[in-house]
Amino acid sequence: MRDFIIRRLVYAVPTLIGISIITFAIARLSPGDPIRLFTFGIKDFTQEDYLRLLHAYGLDKPMPLQYVDWVTNIFRGSFGESLIYHRDAFVMLMERLPNTLQLALVALLIQLIIGVPLGVLAALKRGSWVDGAIRIFGVAGHAVPAFWLGLILIILFAVNLRWLPSIGMLTVGHDQWDIADRIKHMILPAFVLALTGIANYSRILRTETLDVLAQDFVRTAHSKGLRERTVVYVHALRNALIPVVTALGGILAALVGGALVIEQVFSWPGVGQFTFQAAIAKDYPIVQAGVMFTSTLLVLSYLLRDLTYAIVDPRIKVG
Amino acid sequence: MTQKRLRTLIAGFAGTLLLVTACTPGGQGNASPTPTAATSEKPQQGGRIVEATISDIATIQPILSADTASSRIINLIYDGIIQQDYKNGEPKPKMATFSISQDGLTYSFEINAKANWSDGKPVIAQDWLTGIKAVGKSQKTVRKSNFQDVEGFLDYCVGSSSSGCTGTAKEISGVKIDSANPKKFSVKLTKISCPAIIDLNGYTLPTQVFGKYVTDSSKDEIDTAPENTAPTVFSGAFKFSEWRKGDQVILNKNPDYWQGAPNVDQYIYKVVANQTAIANGLKTGEITWGNIQPKDLADMQTVDTIKITKYQNLGYTFISWNTLSPTVPAFADKRVRQALAYGIDMDQVIKAVVFGEATKQVAHHVPVQWAYPSSPLEPYKYDKAKAQQLLTDAGWVKGSDGILAKDGKKFAMTITTNSGNQERETLAQVAAEQYKQLGIDAKSAPEAFQGLVTKLTTGDPVIEANIIGWSLGGDVDPYQIWHSSQIPDRAKGTTGFGFTGFKDAAMDKAIEQGRNPTNGDCSTAARKAQYETFNKILNENQPYNFGYANNVLVGAQKTLQAFDPGSFSAIWNVHTWWIKQ
Repeated sequence: MRDFIIRRLVYAVPTLIGISIITFAIARLSPGDPIRLFTFGIKDFTQEDYLRLLHAYGLDKPMPLQYVDWVTNIFRGSFGESLIYHRDAFVMLMERLPNTLQLALVALLIQLIIGVPLGVLAALKRGSWVDGAIRIFGVAGHAVPAFWLGLILIILFAVNLRWLPSIGMLTVGHDQWDIADRIKHMILPAFVLALTGIANYSRILRTETLDVLAQDFVRTAHSKGLRERTVVYVHALRNALIPVVTALGGILAALVGGALVIEQVFSWPGVGQFTFQAAIAKDYPIVQAGVMFTSTLLVLSYLLRDLTYAIVDPRIKVG
Repeated sequence: MTQKRLRTLIAGFAGTLLLVTACTPGGQGNASPTPTAATSEKPQQGGRIVEATISDIATIQPILSADTASSRIINLIYDGIIQQDYKNGEPKPKMATFSISQDGLTYSFEINAKANWSDGKPVIAQDWLTGIKAVGKSQKTVRKSNFQDVEGFLDYCVGSSSSGCTGTAKEISGVKIDSANPKKFSVKLTKISCPAIIDLNGYTLPTQVFGKYVTDSSKDEIDTAPENTAPTVFSGAFKFSEWRKGDQVILNKNPDYWQGAPNVDQYIYKVVANQTAIANGLKTGEITWGNIQPKDLADMQTVDTIKITKYQNLGYTFISWNTLSPTVPAFADKRVRQALAYGIDMDQVIKAVVFGEATKQVAHHVPVQWAYPSSPLEPYKYDKAKAQQLLTDAGWVKGSDGILAKDGKKFAMTITTNSGNQERETLAQVAAEQYKQLGIDAKSAPEAFQGLVTKLTTGDPVIEANIIGWSLGGDVDPYQIWHSSQIPDRAKGTTGFGFTGFKDAAMDKAIEQGRNPTNGDCSTAARKAQYETFNKILNENQPYNFGYANNVLVGAQKTLQAFDPGSFSAIWNVHTWWIKQ
């Protein structure tokens, strides 16, 4: 197992180097000049001022040298100073990470709590109207755009019914530790973020449960005279859940990366919204830090997934 | 800019093309204005104001600020020595009265005896000097050029050799603090500059906090000072409490504010994703006030709890014609540009694009500016026949395909605009459609703002026609946009906002005399005469289709009292605002 882990970690290195090159290249080669952008319209701003700022931010160096500087500084623990905020990009990103993680974790929880029972129920009621309804829900969950659903839910539950807030993660003036208020703010965005996952889980669980229910050991359990409930929940479900459990790491990373739209719709001050705004403003250090962070998270989560696979299914070997 | 970032950047212009005006040599500033509540009721104490913004602040350090969101917080916690009248933009005393010497070169200030910092120390001339010194020391400020005309500033400031900063002096020789009265000081300029009074507002920073960053041995530590994001001492109506990054900035009332303690306890600057969220937040009561979009106006007017205030924006949206375009040489012909003005029904466009919430523009200055011309200008009322006649006069004749052609070359053009800005994208499409009716093969092409800005300011010939907007901010000086020195030249590597390439010697002269008059007369009347000439030349030559000036639509809870936003400031009387329970 140790060799397996080491080998996987070694594999991750070229992946991350590749990501760093692509991230850097995309950020730098996209049209536009950040200094021109944030100084657009500044009174009496001269060409000399422009050159001074270009130098101050190290943007006057050749591109490969800028890349080397960037990577070198990463190893020194700095992703560079934001061109707009004049603060360390990674520190700013980490300030917002807990907000995104909260949302992602709650969404994950909702996905599991709703998606798993729905999948099992659909399998047990295969061919019935319940199965059909869950299938329709699954298709709708995939098809409905998150931003649209978010806006509809805001209009319904916040603007019209006034049951839930429409913006942010805390009512203005409330204490940061007001958990009840925080939950109220989280319900709509977490549900919308979770929706695709619910549809995914219910579909996977339905397939897996049907597959497991048809296997010999389930028939054996039945023939031993065990109760239906015991057969399904103790024997079948445990096996059907394996793909779900192993996929958790990857899903969490995807949720963190995918929260962007939800953060925009619900004005949730998370990493996605922050990185998106930085991309618009061509704030290179933040964009690069954001993409590198999310990519690293994804690489690590896939590594975790492979490890989990190897643990729960010893037949899997690293290639 | 997305629309969000875009708006911030364009709006940032407001805080930057600073105002000027009635700075008659030898004139004396008036007493500080006393804000009046919009109601005769006795203000109630307490409560909280939540203003919605679509951009988080970038800094709380005035010398580094280049965006409107940061400027809002800075203006709430730091007072300036002067201010602009919130309706007409005239510079007026705030923390200090001012006078200008007969030769127009020396500005004298006296800070109000009541003006004090939140730690009890008086605001003194040294605090103003600390601000200007901080600009001199900073490597990342975008304001260095604002003070280049202050005598001795270039000797003091640090920067690249080409910027003129030498860093050889330890003091700024043109700034003299009265040894007998620490609240009095004077600033000497190297040349007469009518917009100077606004620049000289400077940045009055507490020396007890920032003084350590502007000592003789300081380098650019001011750029990374922790107080830039968590200030500790204030002169404004509110005191900084907390910045929850990406979410909100929390300010508490300054009970010792020199103009009187604010009525409300807190001012929250709440970041939301977009203007739809602002409209929703106003309806739910989560937001006290914020700007709304024209498309939401009808809906918001049906909400009982909301009142809508409209005022004219200090800017306009226009279509620029690249008169130097190698691909559309037609733009070099004045008759063609005039035809393009007559050939678009701008009144209809305003209805279609911004729901009628704008005023048609036919020259540079907008109606709320004092420099707006008094003499009538050609209104370019929609007249398709006249447009076609002008095109015919210019030699453009329709071919069998219905497209205008001259010397075998068809009249084709692409109108670019920044993608993501729905209003401008619609305007580009509508304009292209209307120009097609004239026989012009017009297309619209959205493009990312980031790239567009670089192309425009560097004079990239690929831009033929373009839609963008100016927010004119304080001063009426149009030098940076219309003086011929501001035309970008790729061959010479110079950049600027004169991306139409249009120049006119008489217009240059009028701009120069409105900015640095040879007779030293910076009076409003003298400058206005120059700007009459300037606007008339632009009106006749139409290097832009000047488009329209939008209305600013503000939605506020009806419980918010004494709220009276104007074109030049929305928060000018914020300490008198109160919440009716």
